[in-house]
Amino acid sequence: MILFSAKDISKTYANHKALDKVSIEVEQGTVFGLLGPNGAGKTTLIRIINQITAPDEGEIFFMGEKLKAEHVHSIGYLPEERGLYKKMKVGEQAIYLAELKGIKKADAKKRLEFWFAKFDILSWWDRKVEELSKGMQQKVQFITTILHEPKLLIFDEPFSGFDPINANLLKQEILDLKSKGATIIFSTHNMESVEEICDSIALINKSKKILDGKMIDIKQRFKKNQFEVVIPNQKNIKHLLTEGVELISSFDTPHTQVSTLKIEQGKNAELLSNILLNTDLISYKEILPSMNEIFIETVSNE
Amino acid sequence: MNKIGIIIRREYLTRVKKKSFLVMTFLGPILIASLWIIPFFLAMNSETQSKVLVVDETLVETNGVKSSLYTEKFKNDKELTFEYGYDITEAQNKLENGKYDAVLEIVKTNDMPPIKGFLFYSENEPSLSAQEAIRSQLTNILKDHVLVYDYGMTEKDLEWFNNPKIGFYSKDIRSGKDSYKEIKTILGTMSGFLIYMFIFLFGGQVMKSVSEEKTNRIVEVLVSSIKPIQLLMGKIVSIALVGLTQFILWVVLSGILIAGLQSFYPQTFTEPQKENITINERVISVDKIDNISSSAGEVNQMVQGLFSIDYALVISMFLFYFMAGYFLYASLFGAVGALMDVDTDAQQFTLPITIPLIIAMLCFPIILNDPSGTVAFWLSIIPLTAPMVMMIRIPFGVPVWEIALSMSLMIIFIAFCMWLAAKIYRTGILMYGKNITYKEIWKWFKYKN
Repeated sequence: MILFSAKDISKTYANHKALDKVSIEVEQGTVFGLLGPNGAGKTTLIRIINQITAPDEGEIFFMGEKLKAEHVHSIGYLPEERGLYKKMKVGEQAIYLAELKGIKKADAKKRLEFWFAKFDILSWWDRKVEELSKGMQQKVQFITTILHEPKLLIFDEPFSGFDPINANLLKQEILDLKSKGATIIFSTHNMESVEEICDSIALINKSKKILDGKMIDIKQRFKKNQFEVVIPNQKNIKHLLTEGVELISSFDTPHTQVSTLKIEQGKNAELLSNILLNTDLISYKEILPSMNEIFIETVSNE
Repeated sequence: MNKIGIIIRREYLTRVKKKSFLVMTFLGPILIASLWIIPFFLAMNSETQSKVLVVDETLVETNGVKSSLYTEKFKNDKELTFEYGYDITEAQNKLENGKYDAVLEIVKTNDMPPIKGFLFYSENEPSLSAQEAIRSQLTNILKDHVLVYDYGMTEKDLEWFNNPKIGFYSKDIRSGKDSYKEIKTILGTMSGFLIYMFIFLFGGQVMKSVSEEKTNRIVEVLVSSIKPIQLLMGKIVSIALVGLTQFILWVVLSGILIAGLQSFYPQTFTEPQKENITINERVISVDKIDNISSSAGEVNQMVQGLFSIDYALVISMFLFYFMAGYFLYASLFGAVGALMDVDTDAQQFTLPITIPLIIAMLCFPIILNDPSGTVAFWLSIIPLTAPMVMMIRIPFGVPVWEIALSMSLMIIFIAFCMWLAAKIYRTGILMYGKNITYKEIWKWFKYKN
């Protein structure tokens, strides 16, 4: 089921086109990566989804309806530029932000206590935000983002500014939320995290969407028919190559030889049987391109 | 709860709970009370009296009767006491010994009047008011002398002549009522100044608060929950409420403080009133001027002036211009706050807003001097200066059409400024780390929001 879709969104600032007919579809219960270099228009799209700015053209649908003001209660947003009131107490502030998302005060308090206990930060409740470290503030910020149990969560560059421990915690929480049925859009140029988290992606460059789809499909589309073959190093793979197979690189370890081969479609069986006839096959796997490679390739081909 | 309500509640409570609010709330009345009290205390307790030794060369003794122009004629007051000597070298010695603070030598001549001039010796430069007092006494004594000896005036004539106490009462030509300019000046200035202060203090707070949210980077989270315009409006309203709270507390606390001091030191406050009464007794009958009884003096006129004012008009106009002025400037200050970032130079944006305020303030005397003049008219029509200037004019009477014009322009201009502010605000708060120029702001008006 499609939870969220944007159709032909365009947005122009004075003399700069931020988005040019961008369309995306996000399935319920998946993690959707919004990728692109800095200044590509990701943040503009995210602000449009959050109804912070309005698009010049295009339509947005959320839970089967046209996007409207009440939908902000079903969306949680962690912006790239984020912060809290420095002089305000942590608990008070979290309740305030929850109230703005339409949660009753008593309810907000109950939920906050649960999350504060989960993150082991109950003792911070009455401390002022300015007394907390950056990492601590980010935990609070994360809780306030998800507290109203939004159907759609939007994280803009969530890992920027998080230390590795908190980044990992955040990743776990994102996957956890997904398993509970939340849908997540998350924008980043950190490709490593995309590999681990995203189900589908859209790549935006220079205000246009240049690539989108499920991660698996994209990887298939970009694969170069390369395989990694490991055999014992008594034998040399050079002598085992069959027709339609090209050796790209190879190196020896104390006991094995690891090679990268480019194999034409349908020529795998022949190669494998030749190897198996002559020596042992320790491992054989397809090398799929990393998101980073796909990203760089697509963007630089533009 | 309605979201603007949530915003107002938080903004209000955080401000009211601040230490600076408490400090200002209690310091304010002390300041106000001391403005009342200090002059009384100063008048009561001024102990810096200077002793002046007068050496009068005009002193002649004929047949055992001393006669002179100046000897024994100076009047002692709070600042100066006068004693008399005959020998200038002796007097100078006494001055050097510190027995006197100053020596005044009156140098004789044989012409008429027989004064060549005055020499003033002192260790320290005498205060300006002391110099002035001595100078005026010198002139008055000489004048009295001439009046008595050359024109044959009696002492009684002289007293009246010196202090004629002719009341000056202006009347409104249309209504035939007395116009009571003093009380109207006080009322107009006070209300104009109050509006000016309120706009500056609390409009400035709106600006600070907006820019804080921007530099905190919390604003993007907030505007994902509520509309920017709601956030700005909530802020403006809550700060107005904070201001009103503080104002009411000031009035109440100052009242308590002044009442308390009055009961502790009753003589401090009654003394000046007694003086007023004695002045009134000396007033020459003014029964040619109708409506004012012979016993009525200026104080009485003040009291009558207080009753002559159309309070319903003044108060309703005050409330209108007070609110209108605040909302007008608060929305502009809010827009400016949205343009500021960690290291931007805010001056270039605050200046255009503060200039009209300061102009209005500087024009107060001009307007008071001629409350229906050209300057007063235009400044009370232009919305940016109208809240202050119109309030000065109101007690003096302003034609209905002018008030109507000013109020309608005010309302139109507020609507325009709020629209302008909303445009600038919603774009400005999300512009991080950019130096914003006027040219760029102009472009924002083309954005769809």
